[in-house]
Amino acid sequence: MIADESTLAQLMRQSQDGDKRAYTVLLDECANWLQRYYSRRVPPHQQDDLVQEVLMAIHNKRDTWDASRAFLPWLAAIARYRWVDHLRKVYRTEADQLEDWDAAEESSEEAVLARLSLERLFVKLPEKQAEVIEMVKIEGLSIQEASARSGQSESLVKVNIHRGLKKLSTLIEKAE
Amino acid sequence: MNRHNAALIAQLTEDLQPVRAMKGRDGLLLAALAGAVTVLAVWLAADLWDGVVTGEASPFFFVTNGLLLVLGLAAVAATVALASPSVGNRQDAPKWSMAMVGILPLTALATVLASGTGLAALMDPYSLHCLTAATGASALTFVALTYWLRRGAPVSVQTAGLFAGVASGAIGSFAYGLSCPLDGVAHLGLWHVLPVAITGLVGRAVLPRLIRW
Repeated sequence: MIADESTLAQLMRQSQDGDKRAYTVLLDECANWLQRYYSRRVPPHQQDDLVQEVLMAIHNKRDTWDASRAFLPWLAAIARYRWVDHLRKVYRTEADQLEDWDAAEESSEEAVLARLSLERLFVKLPEKQAEVIEMVKIEGLSIQEASARSGQSESLVKVNIHRGLKKLSTLIEKAE
Repeated sequence: MNRHNAALIAQLTEDLQPVRAMKGRDGLLLAALAGAVTVLAVWLAADLWDGVVTGEASPFFFVTNGLLLVLGLAAVAATVALASPSVGNRQDAPKWSMAMVGILPLTALATVLASGTGLAALMDPYSLHCLTAATGASALTFVALTYWLRRGAPVSVQTAGLFAGVASGAIGSFAYGLSCPLDGVAHLGLWHVLPVAITGLVGRAVLPRLIRW
């Protein structure tokens, strides 16, 4: 069960006031929310690192959440920012292969919304850019393999990844 | 909850201290203070032009400086908002304001070309002085907005850098413009708008590196 917006906002208000018990619950809930958020877009062995990076970002930047605004859009913006950053850093490893990884099925409405939230970034990209980013940065294919599968030249694969990541970084807050 | 997350959460909870939430209002006040100090500095260094109150100033003086001020306010508000991340945080006002201000150099160019005097008519003895002075006058607002963005958590760093640069250039050019008695279309439309483009480019190129977190 993932806490709803009003519960999370209340926990964050208490956390900003220094309530450690509320903060533990908040971070627990955020960790659960983030696991689901990343489940389709990040290989499982990288999810923990990414979730922990976001938890630290929440901690370091907790004063940037304004209690007059919603909490989940704030959390989602940070999660997207760290995800795009993560995509830039990803290098191919055998363990990144999609076939090694079955994302968990979610049932709650929040999880669907969360997953859509990352999908929303991808649908704003030109198809060729999204295709090769997905292959190389998420599935872990090499440039050569992505080139063969997509029919794009290797140079074009590199250019499309570069341009796509650049565009993704401009969409973090815009794509709803 | 996996073991690693639990350990991290325990550590972060242990480190928890009360914090004062960043308020957009404080960022706006900081920028307003920077703008006010800039106007004061221009007043002390170059004196403000009394043609503004004696009726000597041309309508184009008010149009240009008014548009620069509106652009500055729009870009300051957007920059301050971008310091606090949020999905759905669209900040389009500065883009429209930039488009409006962009009409000014086009007007200057069209006026000069239509008069048949050639592009040399765009230059005057004070062109470069106004360009450098107005650009220099943007420094304080630039520093204030950079501080605010570094304190915050901007996730649209390129946009935030561009808007902070544009905001500081527009505020600086507006402030310096209050001291400049040259109120012709060619001078104001080009040499008082160019600083905004320069600081915008500087903000876009330099700030993302300073505000990325």
